[in-house]
Amino acid sequence: MLEARQRPLLVVEDSDEDFDTVREASQAAGLTNQIYRAPTGEVCLSLLRAGTFRPSVVLLDLNTPGLDGRDTLNEIKRDPALRALPVIVVTTSANPRDVESCYRAGANAYHVKPVRYADHLQVLISLFRYWLGCVVLPGSEKLMDEEAL
Amino acid sequence: MTNPAPPPWEGVPYSVKRHGVSITNCHAEPVQTPGCIQSWGALLVLRQADLAILQASDNCAQWLGQQPAELLGRSVAELLGSAAVKRVREVMERDAVERNPIYALTLPARPGSGPEGAAVQLDLSVHTIDGVIVLELEPAAAATGPDAYVKLRRAAGRLCTASTLQGFCDAAAQEVRQATGFDRVMIYRFHPDGHGEVFAECRRDDLGSWLGLRYPAEDIPRPARQIFQKLWVRPLPDVSGPLHELLPLTNPDTGRPLDMTYCALRGASVMYTEYLQNMGVAAALTMPIRTESELWGFIACHHYRALPSVPWTMRAECELLAQMVSLQLKAVQDREHLLYRLRIETIHQQLVAQAAQEGGLAAMTDGRPGILDGLNARGAALYHRERWWRVGKTPPEPKLEALATWLEGRPEFASPTHPVYATDSLCRDWPEGMAIAEEASGVLAFPLSRGRRSLMVWFRPETAQEVRWAGNPHEMPTVVGPHGPRLTPRTSFELFVESVRGRAEPWLPVEVESAQRLRLLIMELVVSRAEQLAALNADLSRSNDELDAFAYVASHDLKEPLRGIHKYAHQLLTNAGALDDESRRRVEALTRLTLRMDSLLDSLLHFARVGRVQFEYEEVVLGDVLSEAIEMVGGRVVEHRCEFVVPRPLPKVRCDRVRIREVLVNLLSNSIKYNEQSVRRVEIGYLAPHEPVPRPALPQEAHGEMVFFVRDNGIGIDPRHFDQVWKIFKRLHGREAYGGGTGVGLSIVKKLIDRHGGQVWLDSMIGRGTTVFFTLPPPRQPQGARHA
Repeated sequence: MLEARQRPLLVVEDSDEDFDTVREASQAAGLTNQIYRAPTGEVCLSLLRAGTFRPSVVLLDLNTPGLDGRDTLNEIKRDPALRALPVIVVTTSANPRDVESCYRAGANAYHVKPVRYADHLQVLISLFRYWLGCVVLPGSEKLMDEEAL
Repeated sequence: MTNPAPPPWEGVPYSVKRHGVSITNCHAEPVQTPGCIQSWGALLVLRQADLAILQASDNCAQWLGQQPAELLGRSVAELLGSAAVKRVREVMERDAVERNPIYALTLPARPGSGPEGAAVQLDLSVHTIDGVIVLELEPAAAATGPDAYVKLRRAAGRLCTASTLQGFCDAAAQEVRQATGFDRVMIYRFHPDGHGEVFAECRRDDLGSWLGLRYPAEDIPRPARQIFQKLWVRPLPDVSGPLHELLPLTNPDTGRPLDMTYCALRGASVMYTEYLQNMGVAAALTMPIRTESELWGFIACHHYRALPSVPWTMRAECELLAQMVSLQLKAVQDREHLLYRLRIETIHQQLVAQAAQEGGLAAMTDGRPGILDGLNARGAALYHRERWWRVGKTPPEPKLEALATWLEGRPEFASPTHPVYATDSLCRDWPEGMAIAEEASGVLAFPLSRGRRSLMVWFRPETAQEVRWAGNPHEMPTVVGPHGPRLTPRTSFELFVESVRGRAEPWLPVEVESAQRLRLLIMELVVSRAEQLAALNADLSRSNDELDAFAYVASHDLKEPLRGIHKYAHQLLTNAGALDDESRRRVEALTRLTLRMDSLLDSLLHFARVGRVQFEYEEVVLGDVLSEAIEMVGGRVVEHRCEFVVPRPLPKVRCDRVRIREVLVNLLSNSIKYNEQSVRRVEIGYLAPHEPVPRPALPQEAHGEMVFFVRDNGIGIDPRHFDQVWKIFKRLHGREAYGGGTGVGLSIVKKLIDRHGGQVWLDSMIGRGTTVFFTLPPPRQPQGARHA
């Protein structure tokens, strides 16, 4: 099994441009992870629930067609099998109510996508460096070993 | 109190010729037993049992050739012959002659049966009263042809078709004048308070009009009024003719005077004849107009030449006419009231429809038709929405205020079902009303609201005033007789004016009822309008909510493509080699535009959020909030020299602290931004509710509230933009001027103040600076819950 931070990223994003920006940011951050894209909430959940695929983190846009990001987040965090998965909200909405409700639902971080490309890129690079560089993610070998003892 | 002196005829048989009356005792005059007859005929009183002559007028010699002394005690047959007596007996058996004179026969002419020894035929009428037979002899009437009936039929037809009271009375006057040939025929009408008015007239062309003449009630003393309840016609063919006493004055069998109520020849009161003489009238003929036993008025006929007689044929015709008029009058009056009521109702309904359409009760006072087209009044006033609307002759506003205050204390106004106050004499109920008696003696008023002042009032002027306005017809030439100027129309008018001082024409029941109905109509309108408003408000707040939600979502969704566009533009620029300079310039512009759009969307989002976010009300010291706000605009303060002035500590207010801080931040940053002074000065203060300081452009709703202000020495705003500045994205200056901006600051200020239930407005002069005012009324619900 891959080390947790080596696992693929799952990006829930319906905008091609924004998804491209994610890829560009990951390159700029020097990531080597595979990047999976789910254009809707439904796709995201079915991928996660198939049981064969476990991403390092989920980047979740709130404004997706079909099941939107808020509901997808709720589904993940209510599901005991998925609850531990870090969900990072990356959205256009700067609405304090969205921020509040996402954290209440169990979001692990909340980022606003700026319109200015350079800023947008910067947000994502920082995010990757932190979540895939600094943070210890659940399902890491080491921690699993300790749990096994 | 001393008893008035007894009249001079007390204890002795009365004779109008001997005793007369005076102005002070004419109310007690025994008009039905004057003891005298007029000179145009002779009168005999017979005992019923044997037809013996008991009394005879002292002019018998002139008409019958024998002195009264020769006649008394003898049978009348000896005087008139048995054929005549037989005829009289027949009439008495056939006709109802008790208190009802009937023409019996015409006596042939014989020497001495007329004035100055002429030979004339005499008509003899007979009636019985109090057990005696009364024979009246008068110059015979000219034979009447069948056209008398044709004339009467025509008169009846005209009277039946008149649709208004005025038209009816005009027709009556014309018909009576045609029947009598008198110079002037007047329809004289009593008002409810007893005073009289010449209501209609038909006169010889060369005579002046007496239409509108008024008399005080005393001009027709009670005995005279009473006698007209009993008879239908009262002739006086020679006003200045001599009076002839009965001999003896009392019935020798009973010792009582003859009741002459029904005698055509009955002697007239000297008061009456003198009054007529003073006006130059030589002959008179009067008929009562009676409705349901009530004396409504008179048909008064005047002639300026004495007449030899008013023959019984003419009297009969007049009697019929008077009865016809009396019978028809009620119907005409009822019809007129009905039409009047319909007119008022129609006008009132139009008024209310007008008010409903134009959205204000004021439309009733300044529209067409106006309120004065309905109820007959000279003035009307409406107090509504904190101001008076006046039309016609009304008291000035300060007096109206006092009147309204007094009316609000009236028990009538508190009536749950019929809160209407109506008076024909305001000063009788309210002494202060004397000051406005001229235009407002008659008052008809009702409240439109219980909670706060809102009322409708009609005014009628003092009657005398109204008569004066119509022009005074009393300046007619008169002479003054032995009883002095009292017996002249002018004195009558003066007495009339006194008698109606402070009084107006009373309101008719139909008018009061119509006012009540108008009130109900208005109340319905007000209620339905309130419902409409409530519905509209609900709609509006719903659509506001929807608009906010829409703006929120839309701006949100717009950001995503915007980010894409920006990104592509950015990528084009980074691959710089592929672009020539011109294209590069354009792509740079594209980038800039996307960023500007981004900030516009942010503003829109923020604005929408301001409308949706829930407020947290708390008691805050405004000074503290201001300090925070100043700190937040600090960035700008460093760039320029700024001076914040707070002349006195700001009070505590109940508000959402964060939102009001945002209001202040917006206002302060505007004050600094739109400012080119070397020292940018901003004053923050307040005006307490009762401080006597000017409050420019104070909106109606902000009256009585504490007013806060932020005043600067900036560039100012042109007054024509005062309304515009509150609109979202409205900028008055170029995009890059004054540090740029999206033009949403004041819109947010307005929305926040609106949501606090306050008012915000401004006052400004180009080059002198701007002052923004706002109020923060105490919240109605402590938790201004609007959104969940």
